[in-house]
Amino acid sequence: MKEKTFVQNIKFKLPIFAVLATCIWIFAGKAGFPIWWQIEFVSFALVGLIVFIILDLPALAPEKKNRDWVVRLLGTYAVGSVLFISITNQLPQFDPQVEIDKLNKPPIKIEGLAGPEVIAAGRVVFEENKCFNCHKVFWEGNSDRGPNLGTKQIGLYSEDYIKKQILDPRYKQSPGYEDPKSKKAMPTYYGEDLDEGQLTALVAYLKTMRDPTNIPVEGKYPDQWTWWDDETILKEGEVVFNGLEPATEGLNCSVCHGKDGIPMMTGALDFRNGENKDTDKIPGDHYEGPLKDWPDELWYKRVTRGVPETPMAPWGTIFPHLYLWKAEAYARTFHDPLDKRTEKRPVPPVPTKEEIERWKTEGLFLDPLL
Amino acid sequence: MTIKTRESVMEISKTTRKASPFFTVILGLLLVYGLSHFVPATTSNSWTSFVSGPQLAFADEDDEFEDEEFEDEDEEEEGDEGSSEEESASTEGEAGAEGEAAEEEEDLSYLTDIGPAKDHKYEEFTFPWIGNRKGVWLAAQFHILFASFILGCPMFVVIMEVMGARRTQGVRKAIILSNVFLGVLIGVTIGIIGEIIVGVHHGVLYGMWACAFGALAVSFMNYFHKCMEMRSSILVGGVFGAFMAIILTPGGGEHVNWSGYITAVVNGMVGGMLSNMIMFAKADFKFERLAHEITKVIGICYSFTALTGGLFILVMVVAYKDFISYLLQSFPILFMIAYPTLFILETVVMYIYVYSWDPLNKSNKKGRHIVFGVILNVLGLSLLCALDGPATFMQTPPTPLGELTNISEWDRIATATWMPLNYHRLVGNGTFGGYCVGIIAAYMYLWSNTKEEKEYYDWVGYMGNVIGVGIMIPLPAMGYIFVREIYQYDATIGMYIMSDRESMFMLVQGLLVGTMFTASNIYMWVSMKRIEGAQRFFPFMKIGFVLIILAATIWFTPRRFFATMMPEPGMNEAMVLPDNLAFLALMVSKNTAAFALVTITLINYIFYTIATKTGKIHWGKINPLGIYVLIFMGFADIWLLSWMGTIRELSRMNWHVYKVFKDVTPDKFTPALADAGLFVTEIVWGFFIIMTGIIWLGIKYPKMKKTKAEAPAEATPSVAE
Repeated sequence: MKEKTFVQNIKFKLPIFAVLATCIWIFAGKAGFPIWWQIEFVSFALVGLIVFIILDLPALAPEKKNRDWVVRLLGTYAVGSVLFISITNQLPQFDPQVEIDKLNKPPIKIEGLAGPEVIAAGRVVFEENKCFNCHKVFWEGNSDRGPNLGTKQIGLYSEDYIKKQILDPRYKQSPGYEDPKSKKAMPTYYGEDLDEGQLTALVAYLKTMRDPTNIPVEGKYPDQWTWWDDETILKEGEVVFNGLEPATEGLNCSVCHGKDGIPMMTGALDFRNGENKDTDKIPGDHYEGPLKDWPDELWYKRVTRGVPETPMAPWGTIFPHLYLWKAEAYARTFHDPLDKRTEKRPVPPVPTKEEIERWKTEGLFLDPLL
Repeated sequence: MTIKTRESVMEISKTTRKASPFFTVILGLLLVYGLSHFVPATTSNSWTSFVSGPQLAFADEDDEFEDEEFEDEDEEEEGDEGSSEEESASTEGEAGAEGEAAEEEEDLSYLTDIGPAKDHKYEEFTFPWIGNRKGVWLAAQFHILFASFILGCPMFVVIMEVMGARRTQGVRKAIILSNVFLGVLIGVTIGIIGEIIVGVHHGVLYGMWACAFGALAVSFMNYFHKCMEMRSSILVGGVFGAFMAIILTPGGGEHVNWSGYITAVVNGMVGGMLSNMIMFAKADFKFERLAHEITKVIGICYSFTALTGGLFILVMVVAYKDFISYLLQSFPILFMIAYPTLFILETVVMYIYVYSWDPLNKSNKKGRHIVFGVILNVLGLSLLCALDGPATFMQTPPTPLGELTNISEWDRIATATWMPLNYHRLVGNGTFGGYCVGIIAAYMYLWSNTKEEKEYYDWVGYMGNVIGVGIMIPLPAMGYIFVREIYQYDATIGMYIMSDRESMFMLVQGLLVGTMFTASNIYMWVSMKRIEGAQRFFPFMKIGFVLIILAATIWFTPRRFFATMMPEPGMNEAMVLPDNLAFLALMVSKNTAAFALVTITLINYIFYTIATKTGKIHWGKINPLGIYVLIFMGFADIWLLSWMGTIRELSRMNWHVYKVFKDVTPDKFTPALADAGLFVTEIVWGFFIIMTGIIWLGIKYPKMKKTKAEAPAEATPSVAE
């Protein structure tokens, strides 16, 4: 087999690499890979180039003197050493001092702590127990092994329920996570690992996971859906709407809006007509679009804060918001019946850090702790 | 105890009464005396309780006895209180109280006072330049590298010796034993892979029993010149191996374990096939020479293993005295009896194996030598398993942790990750041994001056690569079950490794594995250039290289480019793969990439094998690049082994024994990636420098001496014939 000279060896390989690397860069960028991944893919293309150059290198001359093999041997070790040291140097690093500081902190004790401090302690418990490994909290975290506790709005649920779910993760499987792997994914030892104080703090932190601008989202990415299209939620919402839910005793939407959607009271919004407009009784707060296009945020606001000087009370100050979202999801079915829908409503994008800040600054929550 | 003694006496009395009543009484008294003095006490701390288990037969008697003793003590205490409270006690009572008070006041400190040393407070020692943790790290890493060598190499040295031995009757007898040993190793490996990939319940047991018994049956029949055809051997191995495996493996309840049975049949067939191949293989002296030369190196490495082991313990005693004391106390029988016994036995057998090579060869007793080799391996593997106990105890101590002191020592050894680590190390050491043979071959090739020597060491390098790569193929599966068990024990440890501070360490591991597979394929490519007609495979192999690069890219691709689970100050939190592309970082993608790497390497190896069978091989004419690739692969493998050890140790976070014994030293944190990378490289350099010396001393130097000794004889004028 005729051997190639070095120039012959790289004559075609270099241009091919240049074209390939450019294509990889562009396609990776178009596909949405962040820049570091683009660099990674191009680097591997470069590795490929080196490998193919090595394959076609002419045979090395046999060693004639001791010095020859000594130099080559040391060169081999040097290549290995430089390669491995460079890899470990160039990959992202962490500062050990951060861990040292964490380890040197006294253990969490919630006795004597007030609301925001308990929540902050809960966040530490959440991080230390590596909950982020499987659960995102809105934009934070990087895995979809478990539900995004932010977009699922775990904070809508009662403290007892959240605590039970932590201690016995098999108690109720989150919708969309019924596959065998997900069913056994969450460890069952938190009851032993967390003391009462840590558990209380953790639940306090989880209770803050709420979104005033979007209805809760269920399912495992990419098969997700909102409560608007969740059959189970709609059934539960019907119970709430008709005043049959024990947890919301005293709330009965059908009294005004009608059991079958025909308003029983003058001025009550007719949910059957998707073209109906938002109330104009609140100065400076009016949505122009028709009912069928109302954003989630408006549904939530109208129900939780009510409409002044009407029987529409600020129900959010009285009843758990979990049930109010369910009732809203059901109310929508009067003008948009579930069985007539051709497609599900789009899953809203995950709220960003800035949006979450906005909720707080604009006071979208009723609870001052949120 | 008393009842037993009385019964014994009565029994003996009955038999001796007929002879002489006098002697009966004397004998009876002697027995009562003897038994009451020589039967050891059955306390929970006694070593006999570990061996013989709880002695329920005497429990009632002992309890009564102990109760009586405690009652007496209680009465005495009450008496003391009474005497101090009541001034008007009787004279007898006063005297008694005074006597006891005198006893209490008596200074017995001389019995426990160690002297002035009790007041000596030395400053805590810190290793200069590197600190305590790195001091221990260095010693431990050196120890484990040499230990891996002396455990990994003998495994295939025995097989090589068998392949190179003339098939005398004694050798054929010994081959029965070595085939069973090989059957166990291969059966366990195939069984585990079956468990992981297909989910075979008890796959390991089915695999091990079937392969071992298949090998035993076929070897036995082959010894008597029965069942000599390959097909019939496979059949016999499959049927007998499966039959025995089904009998010996615990049933899975009501369901028939078909997948287990199939695993058993396959393993039995493999055992039968290998046994037949080995029993009737044509003896090739090259294998004998290879085995013998490696054994010489093993001998020297053994001394270094002991040396570095001692160093490790000394360093631990200085740097982590509390912890090493706790660990030794947790495993008293293991560290005080089992480990020294095994170590001494292994040393004895190892020296017999090394130094009896030539004498037994000359006296035509090769079979016995092979048997020593198998025993050496069994002892070595037992040592490995024994020390994996404390190692896994540190990582996954048996739960509930509150019961740790109440469970038996065996329960502390057989932790959740004990067997997975045993499997992982067994296969890992085999790979390590293969690559070390490659290094030895490469060195000797470079140091050889004659054509014959170069041809021979070129072949040895080929064998080393075959063994190293061949055994490395199931290695990812072993690593997988180890980490799976860790996750099941406590997901926090698993997350720390895979997603938190060690995530970039694991990324480096991915890169290293990719590098090793690539280098291995380059070696095959370079080797094939010296085989006539092998170039016809090159176009296909080039496609394979493209796929290897692709697979390595996927294996490497991380979910995020920051080194912790959540971004810390100074990190770029935007460096996360978007959700729609995150599948590239999931285990499914990684497993696919690993499977692709393994498959392509296997295909290339098949091409290589076909080329060696169909074309002429110009041994000794390998492109020198191939020799340096061999050394590079060895360097990478040893680096990777050290790196994985680092990851395993650091995964305990700030615990010496996870959630039991906290590390409160200044070195309790995980070191930065760059720091760890540099230190591991330095350790590997140290190991290579020592190994270079050992190879020279073990193989090259004796050859030089021999050549020098022969040289004058050749130079002297010969007598004319």
